[in-house]
Amino acid sequence: MRDPYSVLGISQNASDDEVKKAYRELARKYHPDNYQNNPLADLAEEKMKEINEAYDTITKQRSGGYTAPSGGYGGGYQQRGYAGNPNYARVRNLINAGDLGQAEQLLYEVGQKDGEWYFLAGSIAYRKGWLDEAMQNYNRAVQMDPSNMEYRQALNLMRQGGMGGYRPMGYSSSTQCDPCTAYLCCSCLTPWGGPFC
Amino acid sequence: MFGYVRPFRPELKCKDFDLYQATYCGLCRCLRRRYGLIAPMLLNYDFTFLALLLWEPEERFTSCRGRCHANPLLKKPMCPDSPALEQAADESVVLAWWKLRDDLQDGGLWKGLSARLLSGLLGPAYRKAARRRPDFDRTVKSCLEELAALERENCPSLDRTADTFARLLQSAAPCEGERGRVLSQLLYHLGRWIYLADARDDLEEDRLSARYNPVSARYGPVGDDEALRLTMNLSLEQVGAALQLGQFGCRMPLLENIVYLGLPVVQRAVFDGSWKEIKKQKIWRNDE
Repeated sequence: MRDPYSVLGISQNASDDEVKKAYRELARKYHPDNYQNNPLADLAEEKMKEINEAYDTITKQRSGGYTAPSGGYGGGYQQRGYAGNPNYARVRNLINAGDLGQAEQLLYEVGQKDGEWYFLAGSIAYRKGWLDEAMQNYNRAVQMDPSNMEYRQALNLMRQGGMGGYRPMGYSSSTQCDPCTAYLCCSCLTPWGGPFC
Repeated sequence: MFGYVRPFRPELKCKDFDLYQATYCGLCRCLRRRYGLIAPMLLNYDFTFLALLLWEPEERFTSCRGRCHANPLLKKPMCPDSPALEQAADESVVLAWWKLRDDLQDGGLWKGLSARLLSGLLGPAYRKAARRRPDFDRTVKSCLEELAALERENCPSLDRTADTFARLLQSAAPCEGERGRVLSQLLYHLGRWIYLADARDDLEEDRLSARYNPVSARYGPVGDDEALRLTMNLSLEQVGAALQLGQFGCRMPLLENIVYLGLPVVQRAVFDGSWKEIKKQKIWRNDE
């Protein structure tokens, strides 16, 4: 196993507070919420596991004995039990396995389009990166079955426009309100040289 | 290419600015060494970003100095040649060539003439680059063909047209392994974002000359900024999420600046129309 301190990106003699802070920042970064239905979700989950283990190891070492595992930021969402159209269940499995081509093909073989059909079509589109079509399909799903929380949640996540995602320290959205677009020009990169500011 | 991918200068640390400049100038020199005197014309911010992404994460930033191509009297900090720079240089030649061929087909007389002249000049460089990156060459060709076909049939799907360019950019990095997966996802959404930004930027012009525009085909002649902004933000979110999963060593802060600050600012400028002005400014010269 890698040195737990280097996993958290801190030195051996960091204070307890620093350890906690580093852990929290990393946990915020790799939190499963930021990688829902993302094709890279498994990588994020691995990272999450790694930092959870590192944090547990450090706290255990420091308290000189046993402490409860951090637990707080658990990895991944549990798959809920699913009872419904067996074809849809297969499509879900294929999506989770990342086999989008197969999932799409199977979905199109289902004749009747109901709320779940549109929800799954939306999930496939989202995974492919076809975000506009994902949104349209989620919208249809919610229209056809307004009481379904799963569809609503998926749509709301997209409607928020990704404002909830992770930003490193100092890159919060407030700094983005600066209207100084003139600075974009990097004008000092001129072949003729020039003042730097 | 387009120049949409750039850092946000006020928030850039000095060391990151130096790193950016050295990479930019390094790419210029790499283009000149590999493809001759006119190749540095193809230098742009987007491929500088690509070079930064492709760099081996363990490799530290070692700046050495070199003579500027545009002004040989000046010495500038330049990254020494590296596989990342070479790949970015090769790929910018390939992409520039196919974009030119595209212009040749659908441009008017004058545009066609200048494109013809340029492609004559660029021909030898392109053939060399295509030999070095055969896979990228093939993908670019087929993606742009697909895009042209979709444009001809007035494709109403925003995602389908954007997908062609997104896949094109995706193929600019190797897709093997964990690192490859991260880069693929990042570049796919960056390509999608660039394509949509460019489409929004051309909206007015395309409307006046009655050309196909994916944004108006999807949302109607005046577009729908609210919806387009949302879907572009979602792509940026995916770019950021992928970036955090990769190892980029000392280049990470610079990449974060570009992704979290540069791209959103460019996006705002494209939407409020100030981007046209920014592009027109002579960014290569400080007149003051």
